[in-house]
Amino acid sequence: MTDCGCDKAKAELEEFLHNELSPQQCQDIRDHMAVCDDCSAEHLVGLTLTNKVKEACQEKAPDELRELVLGAISNLDNRA
Amino acid sequence: MTDEAETKRALFQEQALPFMDQLYGAAMRMTKNPADAADLVQETFVKAFAAFAQFEQGTNLKAWLYRILTNTFINQYRKNQRNPYQGALEELEDWQLGGAESATSSTGRSAEAEAIDRMPASAVKDALQEIPEDFRLAVYLADVEGFAYQEIADIMKTPVGTVMSRLHRGRRQLREKLADYARERGYAIPDSTPTTTRSTT
Repeated sequence: MTDCGCDKAKAELEEFLHNELSPQQCQDIRDHMAVCDDCSAEHLVGLTLTNKVKEACQEKAPDELRELVLGAISNLDNRA
Repeated sequence: MTDEAETKRALFQEQALPFMDQLYGAAMRMTKNPADAADLVQETFVKAFAAFAQFEQGTNLKAWLYRILTNTFINQYRKNQRNPYQGALEELEDWQLGGAESATSSTGRSAEAEAIDRMPASAVKDALQEIPEDFRLAVYLADVEGFAYQEIADIMKTPVGTVMSRLHRGRRQLREKLADYARERGYAIPDSTPTTTRSTT
């Protein structure tokens, strides 16, 4: 058990979420969250926020944009 | 057209064009409207195609395309927008940092997570549009595209520390806006955000 405590966990939760910590640091935070409802709830909010933003931002480019890009690229070819 | 040009074009179409939806999504968050987003994406692909010989095969093409997109946006679109105080705003918000999480209970947080989860996509996009551009871009690159902090630093041409700070502030502001949205619609979210940051409501 390498529980890192609340202060360190809170400070690093965002890096944990974004996969920016070393395996050991991740383990410390996981160990802490296993015994701390507060930090695991905080992590859940962060995770939910990330998933929600990701889901909300999915876009489909208009079909005509693909044609425009292909056209623009072939024009460049012709000039070359 | 020469064989070489034909091969280059085929490779570009095969490798780069599949990123069109993603780049368009990012361009929508940058420009905030479909017409400018389409222009920005088209320009990005034209530039990328022209420079494709310099792209080192085997390195991260998506990050390379995002660098071109971001550069093009900053050089050509951003200067047309009236937002001269962006930098100052970023500095000023330093005093808002620190200790915002302290007051809420874990039950309150569970309710907050649930409310965020139920939020319509339009509310999330509106909230994203309201946060400062540099914050929004950092959040987009990390949370939607899953870029590593170092990649975001390369794309935005800032130190990693700046990326972390923009990401942190951006996510915090987003979270406050979503909590406000939920509260306005009667969800039971405890008032966890510091009163100092809620002057706009």
